[in-house]
Amino acid sequence: MLASFGAELLKIRKRPATWILALVWFILIVLFGYLFTYSFAANPPDRPEDQPPQVQQQEEAFNEQILNGLLPENLLENLFANGVFSLGAAIVLILGAMAAGSEYSWGTMKTSLTQRPGRLGMLSGKALALALFIVLFVLLGLAAGAMSSYTVALLEDASINWPPLEELAKAAGVGVLTFGAWGFLGFALGMLFRGTALAIGLGLAWALAVENTIALLPIESDWWESFRRLTLGENTSSVGSIFGSPNPSFSIPETLVEPERAAITLGLYVAVFAVVSLVLLLRRDVT
Amino acid sequence: MAATVRQEPQEKERGTPLVVETRGLTKRYGRIAAVESLDLTVRRGEVYGFLGPNGAGKTTTLRMLLGLIRPTSGDARVLGEKPGSPAGLGKVGALVESPAFYPYLSGQDNLRVMARYSGVRSPRIAEVLERVELSGRAKDKFRKYSLGMKQRLGVAAALLKDPDLLVLDEPTNGLDPKGMADMRDLIRRLGKGDRTVLLSSHLLGEVEQICDRVGVISKGSLVAEGSVAELRGKQGLLVRAEPIEEAARIAEKLVGVEEVAELGGALRLTTDPERAAEINAKLVSAGLRVSELRPAGQSLEEAFLELTGGETV
Repeated sequence: MLASFGAELLKIRKRPATWILALVWFILIVLFGYLFTYSFAANPPDRPEDQPPQVQQQEEAFNEQILNGLLPENLLENLFANGVFSLGAAIVLILGAMAAGSEYSWGTMKTSLTQRPGRLGMLSGKALALALFIVLFVLLGLAAGAMSSYTVALLEDASINWPPLEELAKAAGVGVLTFGAWGFLGFALGMLFRGTALAIGLGLAWALAVENTIALLPIESDWWESFRRLTLGENTSSVGSIFGSPNPSFSIPETLVEPERAAITLGLYVAVFAVVSLVLLLRRDVT
Repeated sequence: MAATVRQEPQEKERGTPLVVETRGLTKRYGRIAAVESLDLTVRRGEVYGFLGPNGAGKTTTLRMLLGLIRPTSGDARVLGEKPGSPAGLGKVGALVESPAFYPYLSGQDNLRVMARYSGVRSPRIAEVLERVELSGRAKDKFRKYSLGMKQRLGVAAALLKDPDLLVLDEPTNGLDPKGMADMRDLIRRLGKGDRTVLLSSHLLGEVEQICDRVGVISKGSLVAEGSVAELRGKQGLLVRAEPIEEAARIAEKLVGVEEVAELGGALRLTTDPERAAEINAKLVSAGLRVSELRPAGQSLEEAFLELTGGETV
């Protein structure tokens, strides 16, 4: 398994698409997590001259609240509770789909398997390499957020207070669970469809369209709520809520699942997707 | 199912260990049999040609031998191991169909990946690159390689483990004439010594030039197995002489002529074609007019077409 891990690591490390995804992830955090919000809050639109002072004060307080949310002390709340980290789900889903599906697209599965790694060894190596890069993407997200919040603090002349180390470690754990579930969903889809195109297409359609639609549909029934509690998006949002409540101005729906249960659900998803991938690889012919 | 024309092994071949052995190997996709009850034997040290028309089941068979495809029924042993088992694959190098590698990696890095999978030490990479004459382009990306270079990299990957058995599936596919000649030379060199080469091809000339023994597969079944000479059948001479009855009478009395048959106004003698001059002298000295005398052996292509029921290659 270690030999396969070494081979997989070399492949994923030298693949330009991996680093393009990392760059996109970094840019997403900076733009959607900080730059757009900061531009809006720091440069509010011109107020009408006849605006009542009470409304003016409310607007100023609102902008101040938004700016505070971008400071280092609120790093984790902004990244996780406000859903900024959820943007990375699509990125790691693509990473996972590429790790598995490309082997079929290029026909390299047969080349690799005839070198002796064994199907179990090969899949274990792949899963470990993907997991390592998921950790790196989480750390990159945290670093991008920290860098952006530090810049905001400098621009606003605010004091710089970082979250405690324990909270940062917890955030890394939450990030790994979240990205793990989405990354291994992409991995299983890549195995299932034996290619990247359909795996990425359907995975993104699910992550960006179906999950959001499910969250916003105004259906009030027990079975619907039970179903929602199982969805990846719901559990991703729920586990992120341990770092605070979302900013009310962002219109993020309330979470349904307790964070601890969401963490367990996401962990189970990682295991289920890995097992599904293994069963698919073990049972099917490599043509 | 067609009956198999199987030549008995020569004395020296008996007792040679079998490297590949299949018994009733079958692969079905629904009601379609891609490979049907295949009994194949490849002996140590030989270059075995696995010949058949496109779609005959060659690649499916090789994939089963490498553990990539599971047979529907039957049994196979490769170097005494179950196909696809890490113990067996450790001694097998393979190039199946087109060479497939990671396009964004260099040739050298692709081999590094493969070396890690197979637990081979890094210095071996330079050795195999040298062997397939790719050292100069080792650092180029695989996607920039020509088809010939890709094929050679495929052979290099197959050689990484210094395998006892080399499985090559259509290695000259898509190559220009020089590339094909180079690849044939390489295979000949690789087949020297104790190493066994199982070469799948639909190119008769290639098999004829390289292989010690040939198995012909058609519609999923092995229809013949033996040496190239055996498959071509008995060699002979075609004689056109006047009067033909007298020529036949003389030919029947000649030592070394096994059979004389009349064939469209000429005689077909089953004998060593190298005796042409001697036979010509006998006929002429008997006062016969000899207008044509040439070797009349069946070509491998004719034998192949006969065995496969006229399927084109």
